[in-house]
Amino acid sequence: MRPMLNSVSPFPATDPIGNRDEAAASAALSTRGLCLWYGARQVLEQIDLDVPARRITALIGPSGCGKSSLLRCLNRLNDEIEGSRVGGQVLLGGADAYAAGVVVHELRRRVGIVFQRPNPFPLSIHDNVAYGLRLLGMRRPRELDERIEAALKAAALWDEVANRLDESALGLSLGQQQRLVIARAIAVEPEVLMLDEPASALDPAATLRFEELLHELAQRYTLLLVTHNMQQAARVSDFTAFMHAGRLVEFDDTDALFTNPRQRQTEDFITGRYG
Amino acid sequence: MMRARAGAGGTWLLGGIAAACIAIMLGLLAFTLGSGLASLWPTRVERIELRGGEILFGEVVESDADSLILRGSEVERIGEGYRRLRRADIATRNAPPDAVVVQLGDGRRRFGAADMEVSLAAPAADGVAEVLRPNAMGPFARTGVFLRNLFAFVATPPDASNLAGGVLPALVGTVTLVLLMSVLVMPFGIATAVYLHERRGPGMRIARGAIDTLAGVPAIVYGVLGLGLFVHGIGGGVDRWFHADRLPVPTFGSGGLLWAALTLALLTLPVVVVSVEQGLARMPASLRAGSLALGATREETMWRLLLPAARPAVLTGLVLAIARAAGSVAPLMLVGMVKLAPASPLDGAFPYLHPSRQFMHLGFAVYDAALASSDVIRGVPRAYACAMLLVCVVIALNLSAILLRNRLRDRYRALEP
Repeated sequence: MRPMLNSVSPFPATDPIGNRDEAAASAALSTRGLCLWYGARQVLEQIDLDVPARRITALIGPSGCGKSSLLRCLNRLNDEIEGSRVGGQVLLGGADAYAAGVVVHELRRRVGIVFQRPNPFPLSIHDNVAYGLRLLGMRRPRELDERIEAALKAAALWDEVANRLDESALGLSLGQQQRLVIARAIAVEPEVLMLDEPASALDPAATLRFEELLHELAQRYTLLLVTHNMQQAARVSDFTAFMHAGRLVEFDDTDALFTNPRQRQTEDFITGRYG
Repeated sequence: MMRARAGAGGTWLLGGIAAACIAIMLGLLAFTLGSGLASLWPTRVERIELRGGEILFGEVVESDADSLILRGSEVERIGEGYRRLRRADIATRNAPPDAVVVQLGDGRRRFGAADMEVSLAAPAADGVAEVLRPNAMGPFARTGVFLRNLFAFVATPPDASNLAGGVLPALVGTVTLVLLMSVLVMPFGIATAVYLHERRGPGMRIARGAIDTLAGVPAIVYGVLGLGLFVHGIGGGVDRWFHADRLPVPTFGSGGLLWAALTLALLTLPVVVVSVEQGLARMPASLRAGSLALGATREETMWRLLLPAARPAVLTGLVLAIARAAGSVAPLMLVGMVKLAPASPLDGAFPYLHPSRQFMHLGFAVYDAALASSDVIRGVPRAYACAMLLVCVVIALNLSAILLRNRLRDRYRALEP
């Protein structure tokens, strides 16, 4: 289905330490000592993660380990939650996303997110994809149409909706809605696209097509994929990060992590002893 | 839960109560419509010969066991032709087919036999509106007269006594007032609801409580507020600043359409706020998160996504506001509603809408015809007719808003939880 990792990856899995440094050098998004509290409860502890550019990085771990919270830190959606507090740094293109003077809504455009349940807006298919573009001030119909077509093609949805762009997006199937939401997210050209268990609402056939789509997207975008499905992580991703109880336990080349985990916790999780 | 425990008997009871409610509502509608329309139906002209030899023509408007009331010719002024006749005094009573009713332009009616037609009309030859022989008419001709009466009622102005003529200015006043009120209340209501939705904290709890309380304040209190705040306060200020040359004749400093519309807007603000806020609260959190994630600010999310998606709730608020506003008459008496307005607030002269002018209202026409009229026997059926028209106006306004809302609701159905 996809080329073997070891022959393609620029980061051979032989030396874990060197691997990390190389990953950091080409990282689209990095965190340094990232901590998150909801009120008095600490959800994330000292996360140091480098998400390599134009690769698929999977985040795995048991439920409630902080995977989704981590995603929401990276585009500052946690800012909307009262009582949330963030420590450490999120580096996007080398600049701290939490520095003073960062315009939050511009940051969010650069870090797109697709949620677990597809959340199309109650607008037409066309207007769903146009939403982010219009926020950027794009008004000319021809320009909009071109960008919308490109986004829908990239999300492998164009052929199915090309002749009904003016129909409500709520009438699409769940799988189509999920691809529409992806088209909406990539229409504004984010630097990183985060997907929070995007396939959990899809049936197996749609999941398979969805994973193929992820590979195509990875040619152009940096993908960060939260999944609770370890097979999926193993199938799809180039790198995998294992989280447990708010900590990043292990991060490595996917093949290396699944075949030769360095941490006992990781081994227990991927062999199904808990989680 | 209650139904399950109450069993079949309970279901019947609840069903019966619901049916009774519907029956009462339909009965009210039917009664208003029936009484209102009946007053426009052509009545028959009777010829009554008394034992003394006197011959009378007229309409029998009321009767009981031993007497009846006849409306005879009104020679000088409207409402003067009534006579109570004891049945014992009546020698013969019939409805000759050639009996004539002459309808004068000011609402007076004269009755007589066919050969009297010329003399009946003569004193007011220029004011003759119609000469009818109702007794000779078949059902179709009567229906024709009825439809003509209905049209005249809806489409002509009243005479000075508000006993005859139509109610066009009151109809125009009512509709204009409600529409102007809607235009005023919606932006304020939506803005307030958005603010309450976006802000949280103890202050907002108090604000919300205050709005709920406002919904329960009696309407007349709003009238006093409107008089003090809008008419005397703002209106007086506007006059001092912009129309000082015409003082002491007030321009905006007396009751008028604008102040009445503002008063009604204040009255209906709570229902709009509550309805819109509930609509916003029903929006799934994922919509908001999705919009923010695309780089929208909170304001952009509200105005471009949440509020448009909550349009059905906004229109529900509008429906409730119209229903409340169209039925409120009491506060209007203080802020510019009059029995007879010298000029319509809506006319063909630029700027077409004259918000400072006094206006007439169907609700007040009901009251005036029923209780303040110099001719009770004419007034009460007229009150029914006005009430019927008012009900029709409210239904028509509501229906258009509801149809609009249902169209939008179909589009957003999949969003409903």
